[in-house]
Amino acid sequence: MLELKPMLSALWRNKTSAFLIALQLALTLAIVSNAGVIVSERVEKIARPTGMQVEDLISVTFMPIAQEYDMAGAVAADMDLLRGLPGVVDAFPTNQIPVSGSGSASRYFSEPNQEIGGEVANYYQVDPNFINTLGLELVAGRNFTAAEMDVMGPNENYDARVAIITRDFGEALFPGEEPLGKFFFPLGENNPIEIVGVIDRHLGAWVGWQKAGQVVFYPLLIKTNHKRYMIRAEPGQRDAVMKLVEEKLAQRDANRVLQLETLSRDLEQSYMSDNVMVKVLSAVIALLTFIVSLGIVGLTIFWINQRRKQIGIRRALGATRANISRYFLLENGLIAALGIAMGFAIAMLINRMMVTSFSQPAMPAGLLLSCAALLLLASLGAALVPALRAANISPATATRSV
Amino acid sequence: MLKMHNIRKVYRTDTIETHALRDFSLEVEEGEFVSVTGPSGSGKTTFLNIAGLLETATDGQYLLDGVDISKLGDSDRSRQRNEKIGFIFQGFNLIPDLNLFDNIDVPLRYRGFNSKERRRRIEHVLQLVGLSARAKYLPAQLSGGQQQRIAIARALAGEPRFLLADEPTGNLDSEMAAQVMELLESINSAGTTIIMVTHDPELAARARRNIQIVDGRVSDSKAAPVAPVAEPA
Ligand SMILES: Nc1ncnc2c1ncn2[C@@H]1O[C@H](COP(=O)(O)OP(=O)(O)OP(=O)(O)O)[C@@H](O)[C@H]1O
Ligand SMILES: [Mg+2]
Repeated sequence: MLELKPMLSALWRNKTSAFLIALQLALTLAIVSNAGVIVSERVEKIARPTGMQVEDLISVTFMPIAQEYDMAGAVAADMDLLRGLPGVVDAFPTNQIPVSGSGSASRYFSEPNQEIGGEVANYYQVDPNFINTLGLELVAGRNFTAAEMDVMGPNENYDARVAIITRDFGEALFPGEEPLGKFFFPLGENNPIEIVGVIDRHLGAWVGWQKAGQVVFYPLLIKTNHKRYMIRAEPGQRDAVMKLVEEKLAQRDANRVLQLETLSRDLEQSYMSDNVMVKVLSAVIALLTFIVSLGIVGLTIFWINQRRKQIGIRRALGATRANISRYFLLENGLIAALGIAMGFAIAMLINRMMVTSFSQPAMPAGLLLSCAALLLLASLGAALVPALRAANISPATATRSV
Repeated sequence: MLKMHNIRKVYRTDTIETHALRDFSLEVEEGEFVSVTGPSGSGKTTFLNIAGLLETATDGQYLLDGVDISKLGDSDRSRQRNEKIGFIFQGFNLIPDLNLFDNIDVPLRYRGFNSKERRRRIEHVLQLVGLSARAKYLPAQLSGGQQQRIAIARALAGEPRFLLADEPTGNLDSEMAAQVMELLESINSAGTTIIMVTHDPELAARARRNIQIVDGRVSDSKAAPVAPVAEPA
């Protein structure tokens, strides 16, 4: 480069301020990139497919007012009603609403009579309409048949015979094997449950759970004192269908409390803290980048003012305006390069700490490089205006000022 | 050859207009040594700045080597300045962060010489001003006279046709001033045209020709009959 060597020696004479600004850049890079790791992890988490047709789904929770209530009869009548409504694709009764943060889980084993080890799964009571209603993808086996449906009182003991599981749970229970047709066992019991179908994906009740995606479905209706329905609307008709459903259900049986919600809203609630984290950290990243840019603007202006005379001398000795601007941009680029090099090291150090102490993911090289590119751009952008203004310093400054 | 015709320079501030030069006409031939004197504020530096392309005239014509300067854009003026003109300032104006070698190197880099050529020229001018041994010194490590010699070396390294000096001895004691003057005289006798602003009548008298500027005009331009011989110190 044109003047790299003398520029480096001139910088060396101003090493303290150059080093301080480089250090500021380095720390910013370290913080920004590590915040970026968390942000991108959360963004990926939020973007995970749920396996369900979330935007078309509605949940209904109802509680009858009467103590004595024919729950099985009410569910059958409601299902007839709901499945016949215009705009409704399908519906099924269940115990919990997926991705809502509320659900049940149990421990299962690939061998009978086990109490240690095994794998946990989130479980749901459903009927054969659940696959179509939720929009799940059956990748192996079959759906439940109407004959497999069990209806039970709340305190009866349930011995499941068949189940449909998610691929994730199959892989957890029988690593590397095809789960279809295999049997699994509840905690400490010896009644085998046959896997008759495998679902591609269902995120389950808790989006933040480490085992999210390990789910079991049983063809079962338990007559608890409250019940939930999942209803799928035709695309784009969810809100209209929701109104209609509320009206029709109340009409059929007014003696109950109904609560309707879209699944989108439940999902949003579940990801609320992740979303807040993403927003806060993004703001921190933006703010830090802005502050470090201001610092560079300040320093560049300061240095240029300090060197007005020198700039005039250089102009008098034949420097063009472009020479002058380039000098300051290049100088800034050198400082930024040093800062970014130090930043790489500090960022990796912090990341290693985060990995070991907080089990955060390791820093992806691409992320670190994009953060470095962002900061380099910000620092050049910050230096640009002062550097262009420096070119306006008159060559006569060399003779006019003392 | 340097030729100014009816040059006018007006400085405008919010409150006043200063006519630093008016109807200023002057010709300087190749190889001349011209001293410029005049009262403070009369326009000497203004003249030198315009001659050296550091400033542009408000009005009038200025031909440098036949090139009409008023028609040039900023970067062409920078190039002309870089190639044809060497400047020497009262305050030396070395760049404090650069060592002597790198200071002399500054205009040569703008000129686009390769590093071998630059090194050759720098070593040559350092020898000429007798400071070869101090190439790696910083300006602050030199005496005023030495700094001015380095500034002269820097002005000479590009082999300019014109050397413009604004009170080059103004900050020096008489002994150092004499050394600098001798250096300038030998440079002039080697063919470089020199225009030197000075307050020192003795130094002014050593030039072949003296012009006096009063109130922005050339008031008197006379050639010295014989260049006085410098007394051995
Ligand atoms: N940038 C400027 N803005 C306004 N007025 C200026 C500017 N530069 C010079 N002047 C004015 O122009 C006039 C000529 O100034 P110049 O510097 O040429 O004088 P000089 O002969 O070199 O004086 P000195 O011997 O004190 O150096 C002065 O009145 C000065 O105040
Ligand atoms: Mg002056």
